[in-house]
Amino acid sequence: MAAVKPRAKNPELRRAMKPWGSFSWGYSDVGADIFVGLGLVLGVAAGASNVAFLFAGVVYVCIGLAYTELAATYPVAGGGQYFVMRGLGDFFGFVAGWAVLLDFTIDVTLFAWSSVDYTSQLLPALVNSVNPWLHFLVVLSLVLGLCILNVVGVRESTAFNGAVSALDVISETCILCLGFLFAFRPHLLIHAMQLNWPSPYQLMLGTSLAIISFVGLESISQAAQETQRPASVIPRTSISLILTILIFALAYSNLALGLHPWHPITDAAGHPLQFWQIFPHNADNQGKAVALLSAQVPYYGAFAALYVPVLGAVLLLISSNSGVFGSSRIAYAMSTSNLLPSTFQRVHQKFRTPVISIVFFCAIAVLELIFAAIPGLFPSFEPFYGRFFRGEGGLGFLADLYAFGAATSYSFVFLGLISLRLTDPLSPRKFKIPLNIPLRFRGERVEFPVVGVIGFIGIFSILIFTLQTHPLGRLFGPSWLVLGVILYLIYRNHRRLPLLRSQRRDWRKAQVEILRRAGEFELMDEYTANVKASDARRAEGSVP
Amino acid sequence: MNASSSEIQVTVAGAVIALGIAGGVGAILWWMLHPPSSYVQRIAAEAESELERMVGSLIVAFSPEIDSSHMMVLAARLARGERSELLAIYVIEVPYTLPPDAEMESEERAALDALGAAETIAQKSNVTIRTETIKARSTKQAVLDIAKREKANLIILGSYREGKYSGAPLGREIEEIAADAKCDVLIGVEGKHGTLLIDESGASSQSS
Repeated sequence: MAAVKPRAKNPELRRAMKPWGSFSWGYSDVGADIFVGLGLVLGVAAGASNVAFLFAGVVYVCIGLAYTELAATYPVAGGGQYFVMRGLGDFFGFVAGWAVLLDFTIDVTLFAWSSVDYTSQLLPALVNSVNPWLHFLVVLSLVLGLCILNVVGVRESTAFNGAVSALDVISETCILCLGFLFAFRPHLLIHAMQLNWPSPYQLMLGTSLAIISFVGLESISQAAQETQRPASVIPRTSISLILTILIFALAYSNLALGLHPWHPITDAAGHPLQFWQIFPHNADNQGKAVALLSAQVPYYGAFAALYVPVLGAVLLLISSNSGVFGSSRIAYAMSTSNLLPSTFQRVHQKFRTPVISIVFFCAIAVLELIFAAIPGLFPSFEPFYGRFFRGEGGLGFLADLYAFGAATSYSFVFLGLISLRLTDPLSPRKFKIPLNIPLRFRGERVEFPVVGVIGFIGIFSILIFTLQTHPLGRLFGPSWLVLGVILYLIYRNHRRLPLLRSQRRDWRKAQVEILRRAGEFELMDEYTANVKASDARRAEGSVP
Repeated sequence: MNASSSEIQVTVAGAVIALGIAGGVGAILWWMLHPPSSYVQRIAAEAESELERMVGSLIVAFSPEIDSSHMMVLAARLARGERSELLAIYVIEVPYTLPPDAEMESEERAALDALGAAETIAQKSNVTIRTETIKARSTKQAVLDIAKREKANLIILGSYREGKYSGAPLGREIEEIAADAKCDVLIGVEGKHGTLLIDESGASSQSS
């Protein structure tokens, strides 16, 4: 009698994502950031805004390269938390994952909220201060709608992201190309840089704000388990995303400094101003920098004045969507690693998506939305917020936590990268970060990543700076982590798993399985051969 | 702000940067969208090009003795048309001298390639496919058991690998499956001068 196995009860996440889908998941997260970051940086760093973006871009490139290498080597759902868990152990993996979960749930609320704000440029009824209940209900509808979209399946939401990302890439390229072609004056750029160079503190502040424009690259690695041929596709999509976003950020900042306005700008006394000079000390202008810049592009600006607010709203919406996507995938991965309860890894039989994770973290996003909206909905709460949250609105509080979560998880990812280079040199790396120092570690040839160290120093500095400059982030960010650690310890104790140490795992077997599931059979063969060769060397005694 | 418009002035630097942005973004995206093919994708492409007109359904069976890769595209097209689920199985026959769950590395590796190619073909046809590797004492019994479990309407089989040399293209296993199956069986035999399909449905089996 043949040994026929019953049908699998828990189907795996399906691999539906092609290169453009993978790219658009990352782009949908990062692409919207420049709409927020450009004005803030111009307002602080003035004539050195392009340099601030360049400095932040260097850290961003390091982060991007680290994620690219790790996601191509370990193509599983979960991204950063998985890499950290594998490199540093269960506990730090949980901390990194918990920090990213904070970021993504905030991402859902924050960007859905901002999307409605952008829409209110064309539909004044949606202005929060005018109709707070309408504003709240529309944001709530968006969050719930995205939740349903993601439950139905990744292919459907990938198509949504892909279409909007394509539209935005084309639109931003048009704005920049026409802007440089018709309105760019190199002497204005040089003039701005020479005469309006900021103080070192302002430049540092501008750099820390510029990093906001680059948050979200990890979405690609979190979707690795659903990407077709991830080891081959992810390096291409990640590098493409890094370069595209870097081009846009540097181009926007240089164009803003060297822009000759299509409609001349003057101050109150009638003196002509350079375009970038409308941003310092003007929060209104800082919030809509891309819209203002595009409106100053000859000919195209007339159309852009109508089009860019819509573009911003849609982009922010898909960024919110990537928050739903990211949080559910991280929870799925953490659950499969016994860092969260197994409920989070249940996949819907029909749609094959982690439905419980999606619904749970959307519910947290809704709670955050309610928290953010309460002062507007119930004015009687304003004194309470003023007393306990230093007068900041709910969104300001969330923004502080957003920066804290990103910097924390990125710092751990760099440590995970360095650790994995040392402890897992046998895994084939289809993409490897350049600039490595060859070493021998525990008898194996390893390559120590210099870029990993540079990136860690960069992002850890930003984390320290965030803690120094954001009092609410300093209080609530670590509180979120402490809460998570307590829940983690309770769960691990309940399951009788090691509390602070890691669970025993056969990483070799796991790596073969990861590559097999990814369809990367050539890499699987290479890894198996590497392991056999290593074992043979140890048996011969050539390796201690 | 003054509403009057300035004159347009195109600078060399601005034009070069604009061209650089357009060219750069275009080149990056083109490079991203054209990754190199994998081994299983090349296998799938070859199978597709050879068997473009063939279609099939439900269970496609592979084994070291039975080569069904050329029937996979046929199965995918038919599955898409009929909106039915497609299952590809690879049966590894374990000799009685070994325990039933014995490690058989080379056969398991061959199964991965065969089923990987099958998945690639199905994905290209936008068809949901499941794959399964089965270890059994008898290939025939394994295929029939799976067909029973899945309530299959059609079993699709290729031909006996050594058929060209032995003069018996179907081979003993394929003949036994066709004889004992409770559903239709479609057998594809590669002829000497091209591809020949022999539909055994109804002739050698009863669908009920």
